[in-house]
Amino acid sequence: MAPTLLQKLFNKRGSGGSSAAASAQGRAPKEGPAFSWSCSEFDLNEIRLIVYQDCERRGRQVLFDSKAVQKIEEVTAQKTEDIPIKISAKCCQGSSSVSSSVSSSSSSLISSHSSSGGSSHHAKEQFPKYQYTRPASDVNMLGEMMFGSVAMSYKGSTLKIHYIRSPPQLMISKVFSARMGSFCGSTNNLQDSFEYINQDPNMGKLNTNQNSLGPCRTASNLAHSTPVDMPSRGQNEDRDSGIARSASLSSLLITPFPSPSSSTSSSSSYQRRWLRSQTTSLENGIIPRRSTDETFSLAEETCSSNPAMVRRKKIAISIIFSLCEKEEAQRNFQDFFFSHFPLFESHMNRLKSAIEKAMISCRKIAESSLRVQFYVSRLMEALGEFRGTIWNLYSVPRIAEPVWLTMMSSTLEKNQLCQRFLKEFTLLIEQINKNQFFAALLTAVLTYHLAWVPTVMPVDHPPIKAFSEKRTSQSVNMLAKTHPYNPLWAQLGDLYGAIGSPVRLTRTVVVGKQKDLVQRILYVLTYFLRCSELQENQLTWSGNHGEGDQVLNGSKIMTALEKGEVEESEYVVVTVRNEPALVPPILPPTAAERQNPWPAEFPESPEGTDSRDLGLKLDKEAHRRPEQGPEACSTGYQEPASDGSWKPQNGFCGDEKNKESPQDGSSRLCSCEVLGAGMKLDQQAVCELCKVEMPTRLPDRSVAWPCPDRHLREKPPLEKVTFQIGSSTSPESDLESRMKKMEERMKACGPSLEASVATDVAQDPQISGSPFNPGSQENVCCPQNQPFEGDEGESDKGFAEDRGSRNEATAVAAGKLSHTADSDAASAGVAGTRGRRLEAARGLYVKASEGPVLEPVAPKCVQQGPGLAAAANIPCGDANKKAICRTEGDIPRNESSDSALGDSDDEACASAMLDLGHGADRTGGSLEVELPLPRSQSVSTQNVRNFGRSLLAGYCPTYMPDLVLHGTSSDEKLKQCLVADLVHTVHHPVLDEPIAEAVCIIADTDKWSVQVATSQRKVTDNMKLGQDVLVSSQVSSLLQSILQLYKLHLPADFCIMHLEDRLQEMYLKSKMLSEYLRGHTRVHVKELGVVLGIESNDLPLLTAIASTHSPYVAQILL
Amino acid sequence: MSRSVTTRAQPYLRQEDSCHSSSCQPSSQLQKRQASWGLQVTMNAIVALCHFCELHGPRTLFCTEVLHAPLPQGAGNEDSPGQGEQAEEEEGGIQMSSRMRAHSPAEGASVESSSPGPKKSDMCEGCRSLAAGHPGYISHDKETSIKYVSHQHPSHPQLFSIVRQACVRSLSCEVCPGREGPIFFGDEQHGFVFSHTFFIKDSLARGFQRWYSVITIMMDRIYLINSWPFLLGKVRGIIDELQGKALKVFEAEQFGCPQRAQRMNTAFTPFLHQRNGNAARSLTSLTSDDNLWACLHTSFAWLLKACGSRLTEKLLEGAPTEDTLVQMEKLADLEEESETWDNSEAEEEEKAPVLPEGAEGRELTQGPAESSCLSGCGSWQPRKLPVFKSLRHMRQVLGAPSFRMLAWHVLMGNQVIWKSRDVDLVQSAFEVLRTMLPVGCVRIIPYSSQYEEAYRCNFLGLSPHVQIPPHVLSSVGPTILNKIEAALTNQNLSVDVVDQCLVCLKEEWMNKVKVLFKFTKVDSRPKEDTQKLLSILGASEEDNVKLLKFWMTGLSKTYKSHLMSTVRSPTASESRS
Repeated sequence: MAPTLLQKLFNKRGSGGSSAAASAQGRAPKEGPAFSWSCSEFDLNEIRLIVYQDCERRGRQVLFDSKAVQKIEEVTAQKTEDIPIKISAKCCQGSSSVSSSVSSSSSSLISSHSSSGGSSHHAKEQFPKYQYTRPASDVNMLGEMMFGSVAMSYKGSTLKIHYIRSPPQLMISKVFSARMGSFCGSTNNLQDSFEYINQDPNMGKLNTNQNSLGPCRTASNLAHSTPVDMPSRGQNEDRDSGIARSASLSSLLITPFPSPSSSTSSSSSYQRRWLRSQTTSLENGIIPRRSTDETFSLAEETCSSNPAMVRRKKIAISIIFSLCEKEEAQRNFQDFFFSHFPLFESHMNRLKSAIEKAMISCRKIAESSLRVQFYVSRLMEALGEFRGTIWNLYSVPRIAEPVWLTMMSSTLEKNQLCQRFLKEFTLLIEQINKNQFFAALLTAVLTYHLAWVPTVMPVDHPPIKAFSEKRTSQSVNMLAKTHPYNPLWAQLGDLYGAIGSPVRLTRTVVVGKQKDLVQRILYVLTYFLRCSELQENQLTWSGNHGEGDQVLNGSKIMTALEKGEVEESEYVVVTVRNEPALVPPILPPTAAERQNPWPAEFPESPEGTDSRDLGLKLDKEAHRRPEQGPEACSTGYQEPASDGSWKPQNGFCGDEKNKESPQDGSSRLCSCEVLGAGMKLDQQAVCELCKVEMPTRLPDRSVAWPCPDRHLREKPPLEKVTFQIGSSTSPESDLESRMKKMEERMKACGPSLEASVATDVAQDPQISGSPFNPGSQENVCCPQNQPFEGDEGESDKGFAEDRGSRNEATAVAAGKLSHTADSDAASAGVAGTRGRRLEAARGLYVKASEGPVLEPVAPKCVQQGPGLAAAANIPCGDANKKAICRTEGDIPRNESSDSALGDSDDEACASAMLDLGHGADRTGGSLEVELPLPRSQSVSTQNVRNFGRSLLAGYCPTYMPDLVLHGTSSDEKLKQCLVADLVHTVHHPVLDEPIAEAVCIIADTDKWSVQVATSQRKVTDNMKLGQDVLVSSQVSSLLQSILQLYKLHLPADFCIMHLEDRLQEMYLKSKMLSEYLRGHTRVHVKELGVVLGIESNDLPLLTAIASTHSPYVAQILL
Repeated sequence: MSRSVTTRAQPYLRQEDSCHSSSCQPSSQLQKRQASWGLQVTMNAIVALCHFCELHGPRTLFCTEVLHAPLPQGAGNEDSPGQGEQAEEEEGGIQMSSRMRAHSPAEGASVESSSPGPKKSDMCEGCRSLAAGHPGYISHDKETSIKYVSHQHPSHPQLFSIVRQACVRSLSCEVCPGREGPIFFGDEQHGFVFSHTFFIKDSLARGFQRWYSVITIMMDRIYLINSWPFLLGKVRGIIDELQGKALKVFEAEQFGCPQRAQRMNTAFTPFLHQRNGNAARSLTSLTSDDNLWACLHTSFAWLLKACGSRLTEKLLEGAPTEDTLVQMEKLADLEEESETWDNSEAEEEEKAPVLPEGAEGRELTQGPAESSCLSGCGSWQPRKLPVFKSLRHMRQVLGAPSFRMLAWHVLMGNQVIWKSRDVDLVQSAFEVLRTMLPVGCVRIIPYSSQYEEAYRCNFLGLSPHVQIPPHVLSSVGPTILNKIEAALTNQNLSVDVVDQCLVCLKEEWMNKVKVLFKFTKVDSRPKEDTQKLLSILGASEEDNVKLLKFWMTGLSKTYKSHLMSTVRSPTASESRS
């Protein structure tokens, strides 16, 4: 049954990835290429290593360039035997175990191992023969890039990434301060050797510097008196790590920052993310998070150097990736590189350790050519391993549909997915749990990959959606917005289960010859190995573009619009590349602009925002085209009743409601007045108006503005107009529905919308920010009931005076406003052009800006009832004078649509009030000029270039270090590398934060064993990789009941619900346990069993779970 | 180039001095302000435009910072008007106000923003962005309470230094092949920088171009590196447009007055002299865009926003427990009720006091549902200290055998009648006993002067004289009872542990209830199957079955309706062959 079932189940995705991946896929279609990166263009040998040194005294020298190394195949075995290598065994052991698993040459892939597996025969180890030629010509330039011209004083390590355009290469460099032992201070034989290498490509001659070897060697032999317990690390590191380990366990339990008060359900996830945001914030970052003394060790011990003797020296290591010339392939690799950078960095650190080792070790070789040979081959080995690892990481077959992630993201086939998963799950329970193998594996996974815990923590708010669908954590969502952290990083931590306390980093490997079985296990485990799903959001501010709008420069727009393309436009997908990178500001007016009928900074209202934009555009258009005559300008229109925020506008003009302050005696009029003139248009008319008039208007404008830049800036609104209006075939009939649509769309865009001035203006067609053209002056029929000293002459008045009058005005207006459905609509229009936005809904604002402008008035506020707000933008003379006053309105704000508006004004208002209140001693310059952000739209796509898709791998040709989950056929390589890998993981945590322990769960389907190997404990039994797992009876019973329920034909989705309930039970039990552990007195485990239903075999699991929500648990148990 | 490195240190010091000397606040206050600033404001990135001035070396021209709210939103401190006055108070308001104050000239900080670091003599037009006295720009992202502020330099001394350092490294230390392009560099101490250097055409400059860079600074190097492709695209776009603008100006100028020719002719004019005259061109004039800085502010703020929201994660959390659901539903019902009755609130308030005092003579008129609502919502609070402090306490008081009997009946849904003259005692007893049951199973009539039927309530308080119909006692207990008893017996377990234990046990059994409900009520399976199921659930004993059946009545509507709806969907009944 197995193959066919598998195929049936997982055959959805075709293969067709790289050849390497394809071979691995075979009958395992679930390891599809969907999330694999294609390696065909990725040449392993094009990963280049350069080691450089910069010495105060001697300047820069290349210590290694892999491009200068050539392998001599034939010579291999012959000469090595004779080499009188007298380095100590320990030394060799150290370095060889690093490289033991390395593919022996740069060209061979992972599958080939170097011959030196063990540590006993190092002295006789055969080095492949390499020829070191002169470094490539670009090496000097690269040296410049690696070091730059930064002073030598900084002790820490520096990280750099360069992009070299041609040939396309990506270079990652780390620059370290070198740390040398004092006794070696005078000897530089290593360096001399390198110089020698550099000088003599043939390496034939004897090095003359041998004399320096003597003292050094003695010293290093002495240094070896301490036993080395971690073969892969030098002594110093070991000593350090011993401390670090014990320190880490305790220190990691202490949270450096106070936790946010509201840590509700998903507390651990939440807290972890919040902490990250705090620790990486710039303020806190000023205190370096990690020790900055990451140095490059050139001595075997911390012979804490006499400072006087230490010369300043820097060592730089660079890895250069040659990129494919093909753009696509290049982009793929870059995406992979940048998104998986922590892994690259980790391996680079490993490479660095190997180089350190090689440098130290080779120093003990007396003969120069041998020393060089040793050094070069060590480095090539290390590089080979690096290459292999990177290549593997890049090309490994991925599990195309990790169950948890797929369930989370696709709602469509949820049921099939449930069935598929449950079928596999129960099959495993039935078939491979006879000796508790599966229960043991699941116990281990649940114990260490702890990210499932937050997903079952009960929340205290009701479900929004269907029951089986869990809800996304709102608190985490909000956190991400307010205190950005790196979601990729967060996901990586989830996957490795690094959310408990102390922090453990866990991987799981399933070993077995039966590929199908292994794959099946892997697949099922992807349900329990949980992490967050990532979405990629593209934010746009200019909204939807018509497809024809691609040419966006200068006057071209106009012609495009003149074509009448309006009518053709459809609702189009947002095309981001059309969006100008420079976001036009919505500016407060300057004196110069005041003279101008067309303010340069016309508010860009991002297209496709909401129905009210229509009004805005209409308005704008009307303003812009004075020549069009009264018929256009004087039209008012009625909003569809369905849009609660709109009211008929006609007839307003005469009343006190509209306050027009003509600005600039020159003839600026508020558009409000125009509209207010009492004309009423129906929707159809409006649409027609827009359609007809737009094209003609444009030329006028262009005349007005000779400057191309201005055109550019104005363009967006124009496009928008076209788009929205033209898109309707029968405007009169479906205006309303379209508005709804737009509104929906806007809502969909979420609260993140930034309201722009434009929208405010749009909210009320009667008000417009644009000054009126003189030509249209006649249309203004605005009585000035307002206490405003509305005319230009007044603009220079003192604040106090203005304020008083304004307040009055607003009060009047407020009284008349009534708002219901949409508070936004209530917000008073603002001088859109001036960049002052007012939010009426929240209260009353009076704003005085330097700009000359119109008085925006409480637009429709008229007669609508109390509780609204009116905004007035009052010209206050010159720059920087601004006064905003606000009185609270009693109507709640509509959060969804006003977004940026309200608070910003609050802020400004508050401060302005402060200013006013505290009198004139403050000058106007004290506050930043406020510029609204453009309203944004967000297009979300699923992000597949993330760890959740890349680190859950399938059946791999060999064991691999980084993967969170993978399967492989034999544990041979695992045995070789595991210890070193775990130690490395602790020393160079990919999570960029200290971790206490690295763990690997090894499930062997050939031996039916599940073991846990950790960096903490050493396994005494050589046959074993780790400790056997205690099977939790909670897990066993869970498995049994799921199986039985399934057999009773309960539907799959229900079984999964039950599964989740049972996991939740475990969580609750861990709560109980943590509560129990908090107490002073202890009782026996037996008692726990009786009372709590907890057995001793459940304890590891439950304490691990408890450590995610109650850090003290670990403290107690440790 | 190195010259500029050394010269730059000084202006910075000077700037710091001026900041302190001109401050007219007592230093303690100043410190306080700074402290709060550091604590409450988090900024994860800064974007800056830098320029290599021909006369003055690398300069920071314009710098946009992000200010985050001190606490995640929802923590309750909405910005409120008048916040400015509360500057010295703690909490949410402070960060903006302190921030703003920092820029107010009264405190001397305006020196920072308007006439930053370098002295005038050290500044030329090319080194300056905002005009002297310009307050800078600010934008608000209300949803997230994030503010974006732009000045020529960051006003915070530490940030100033970080930006300064990044600027110098970007333009005079790090080597970028081709001099134009992206580069990443940094360390833990000075932060990490994504820098993109570029040239701007200038017909009057040496080589007809000037050198600039846009830098993004973060402490989170992984985040910054992850964002490289995104930042590169966006920053490149900004640069392209700046270059485009400048090119137009350049071409126009060249057309009007070809510099190359002119320079050829005046080949022997001392270049330095000429340069002094021309070096002072601002980017504004090079691009002929008066609003350039405002535009850059908006663009940088946008860039920061877009970069921050580029990746979002979806993180699932667990379903609420049945108890939570039922409580929610009751709350919702209550709200509905209160909508219908205007005075419901008043009524409710009446209820509580009534119970103790007026119980004797007064008939309770509310239905059981109502009263259970009441207690379900936890709104009833005994006026005095509860008589029974905990289940364990009650057990001690009653003695183990009586308690067990009592508890058995409670668990099985049998009606528990508590007769007493002391109303408080009854209340307290029920409050304790109800914790053994799922919230949905609790129907309390706290005190009545007449017997109420069992279907109306499973907890009934009665005055001593009321006649009660007799009922049956049983001796065996359901599994859960044994466990509860064990927990109560074990004195080593604190009350909190017992509470938690009760939660666990109830959820555990509710999970069984759910399965049974699905099996019997939704799917209507035959009896044999049900029997099988019960043994799978470890609940085949009669008492357990009885308990499950009773507890089924406590399932939330939400859950039940969900099951009912999904069973009708075609997928659910799909066969598995």
